[in-house]
Amino acid sequence: MTRFLIIVVLLALIGVGAYFYLNRTDASDGTAPVIAGAPPSASVLARGEYLTKAADCTACHTVSGSGKAFAGGFPFKLPFGTIYSSNITADVATGIGSWSDDDFVRAVREGIRKDGQHLYPAFPYTSYTQLSRNDVLAIKAYLFSLPKISQPNKANELSFPYNQRWVMGFWNAAFFKNQRFVADSSKSPEWNSGKYVAVALEHCGECHTPRNLGFGLEHGNELAGQELQGWRAYNITSDQVHGIGAWSDGEIAAYLTTGHAEGRGSAAGPMAEAVQNSLRFLQPADTAALVTYLRTVPAREGKDPISVDVKAAPVIASSNAAPGGDSASADNPGLRLFEGACASCHQWNGQGQQTPYASLLGTRGVNDVQGANVTQILLHGSDMRFAGPNIFMPAFGDAYSNTEIAELSNYVIGHFGNKQGAVTPDDVAARRKQF
Amino acid sequence: MLSLSINGQSYPVDVPDDMPLLWVLRDVIGLTGTKFGCGIAQCGACTVHLDGQPVRSCVLPVGSLGNRAITTIEAIGNTPAGQKIQQAWLEVDVVQCGYCQSGQIMSATALLQRTPNPTDADIDAAMAGNICRCATYVRIRAAIKQAATGKAEILQTMVSAPAGAAS
Repeated sequence: MTRFLIIVVLLALIGVGAYFYLNRTDASDGTAPVIAGAPPSASVLARGEYLTKAADCTACHTVSGSGKAFAGGFPFKLPFGTIYSSNITADVATGIGSWSDDDFVRAVREGIRKDGQHLYPAFPYTSYTQLSRNDVLAIKAYLFSLPKISQPNKANELSFPYNQRWVMGFWNAAFFKNQRFVADSSKSPEWNSGKYVAVALEHCGECHTPRNLGFGLEHGNELAGQELQGWRAYNITSDQVHGIGAWSDGEIAAYLTTGHAEGRGSAAGPMAEAVQNSLRFLQPADTAALVTYLRTVPAREGKDPISVDVKAAPVIASSNAAPGGDSASADNPGLRLFEGACASCHQWNGQGQQTPYASLLGTRGVNDVQGANVTQILLHGSDMRFAGPNIFMPAFGDAYSNTEIAELSNYVIGHFGNKQGAVTPDDVAARRKQF
Repeated sequence: MLSLSINGQSYPVDVPDDMPLLWVLRDVIGLTGTKFGCGIAQCGACTVHLDGQPVRSCVLPVGSLGNRAITTIEAIGNTPAGQKIQQAWLEVDVVQCGYCQSGQIMSATALLQRTPNPTDADIDAAMAGNICRCATYVRIRAAIKQAATGKAEILQTMVSAPAGAAS
């Protein structure tokens, strides 16, 4: 009996020790590499504005169209409930106006808010942990220079046990490494800047890196792609077939700054937002650094890999105005829908008529047999307002049934990707509820 | 200041680059034959030709056009295919309320220009993006065939009766 008790106490001590060891903080301020858009010579507000955009704070902390910058309230619909982003304006009562520098730095880099409670990792402190204290405080200074907005935070709607914030301490012990950016002296300064931009600021991995059963990022599988909120964040490793290894530097840079790379694809959904809110503001040197870093991300196939057919036979056999070489017969319902609603802009040869953004040939969307993003953009449309004229596609979710969207998706995958699409009406029904 | 080439004429227009061509045609230049239907490239009423290709002018930003030749319903009758289409349209009396017909004629003319003898499938593929609430589709298909072949496809109207005939 005594021996049993001793073992229990020992195990408990080991557990407590492990909890605190794994949750240890990195006390260093951290040093950022050179960021072209936020040089040390610039004013703190100018640096803060650039870094706030580069970290894409607005994507989650501003409800688009509300006119209330950084006042929070954006919902994250997760399998176990809904989390709302918080007000990070300098309003004292409802925002973070009473937070000290240390409070803010701890929240951003360690995921612990002023009252000591854990934040949920929907807030990507898991990435921001690499930021330097200097950069975090520049962001704070910028946020505090903006108008204070009084808007109380919405209560999260989470089921037990997910509504217990202390549980996140264990999640952190398992999946979170509280550590500042460490420069790799064996790599070029540009690569180090690119890694800081990709990981610490833009937090690319939060969407593009697959997650494990506990929703922790699989660090051995960096940027191999995953499905998130119904959209597929593609494999952006250096894999020649399944990633972006075959893209030129110019194509990657064009995609990041304009949301479109000729013959490769156009951003939509969450990626269009990332371009609109954040990536397009990067200075060319920072974009180039980011590309340099992405180039070196080890090639990985990822789950449900996509192989792009850049010369899909049915497309090559088609003219801009008429289909050719399709296995689909003329009364295929998907073809019928395409000719009525889609062909006038996208064209049968996938070149896109009104705008190059409408080109489909060679994109990963139409080569994904699961059709995740094809379904999403059909259901929800697209509306990008930064690349000169609006890049607009109407939403068809209210016009077509789940069966019709599935038929159309599979036709598009067959015609433009030369593959057998596998989209079912049930898939469409599920994707309707997301995003 | 942009310069647009419309129906063989040059029009200088002072408009924002992102203004859709349809707005420029109707509200700035005053060519109101092209109609506004849905505004999102789904109905075909606003169809015009850009270098001979049918395009939906309601979603076509005018800044992207450069010197490309724009043809509207006002001048489509000056082309051989357009002339045949318009004649067949009269002979078959395609039009009911007429609102969509500018777009229908533009799409049908483009079809005839690239496919002088279209099959039913060709017609479906070319015309599916033009919606007609009066459902004149049967007459549209007949008129396109008639324009292509010169042979009467269905019952002809009085419009084509010889001048001076009793009506």
